[in-house]
Amino acid sequence: MNITANETLDAKGLACPMPIVKTKKAITKLQPGQVIEVQATDKGSTADIRAWAGSTGHQYLGTIEEDNVLKHYLRKATDEETKEETKHEDVINLEELRSKINGEESITILDVRESAEFAFGHITGAVNIPLGELEERFSEIDEDKEIHVICRTGNRSDLAAQKLTEKGFENVKNVIPGMTKWEGPTEKNN
Amino acid sequence: MANTKVAIIAANGTLFDAYKVFNVATAAAASDAEVGIFFTFEGLNLIHKEAHKNLPLPEGKEHFQEGFKQTNVPSIEELVGIAQELGIKLIGCQMTMDLMNLEKDAFINGIEVGGAATFIEYAKDANITLTF
Repeated sequence: MNITANETLDAKGLACPMPIVKTKKAITKLQPGQVIEVQATDKGSTADIRAWAGSTGHQYLGTIEEDNVLKHYLRKATDEETKEETKHEDVINLEELRSKINGEESITILDVRESAEFAFGHITGAVNIPLGELEERFSEIDEDKEIHVICRTGNRSDLAAQKLTEKGFENVKNVIPGMTKWEGPTEKNN
Repeated sequence: MANTKVAIIAANGTLFDAYKVFNVATAAAASDAEVGIFFTFEGLNLIHKEAHKNLPLPEGKEHFQEGFKQTNVPSIEELVGIAQELGIKLIGCQMTMDLMNLEKDAFINGIEVGGAATFIEYAKDANITLTF
């Protein structure tokens, strides 16, 4: 699985508690919403990184093991994601989205999370364009189909839905709440 | 854990004790908890300027030396530095310092000195209290 991160931290060969101590330091240098890859060989680090993320509010995306190195992915928490305010009015819930996926009509699911988040699990057939890249990549989106924008909790997708509507896309729906509550089938990047 | 407070008493002075104290303390501080450690009796070794660099293994456990090397655990000196960098409050016990005839300058820089009441005042609203 090929995953893009904004920053890589080498904590290989270090024993507890150093992987989390180093992660704590490194994550302060990231912008909110950015992704860090933490490389570790401490076998306890998977449980520790996950617990640490739970304590600090950062988002634990997942871990992959390659050549005896554990690669943990974390996304730095952002303030705006905790805000409840939604502006794009045309919304659709997860149940409605599921019945549409199973229906006759061909629809577009646009996942605007970071590519590392997408890699660890997304709705089968979804297209990934991170929110930060949306403006340069409008041309990749099929205007004629109904576009269902999704993210983790419905906030980034709300911003994306607004941008798309401003750009002239007509049939844009924000999927709420988002992948955190999605119980339908998902797939991972290979 | 930003609103979590951890109070630790360090009362023993071997290398094992030092790892228990500083591993838990730095992990808590790295998780955004407020952490304070009260060093008393042999626990004072853990912040003594010279002693903390060369703490003894518990008697009969000397064979663990090899394991420490192999697993590449950080040195206590390094952990003390990290603890201070993370803002962990280090409090030396005045009474024990007096009876051991040690002044504040025998200890690493940046420690506070106080009595039992200082620790109680700090720990009264702690969420987690540990004794090592």
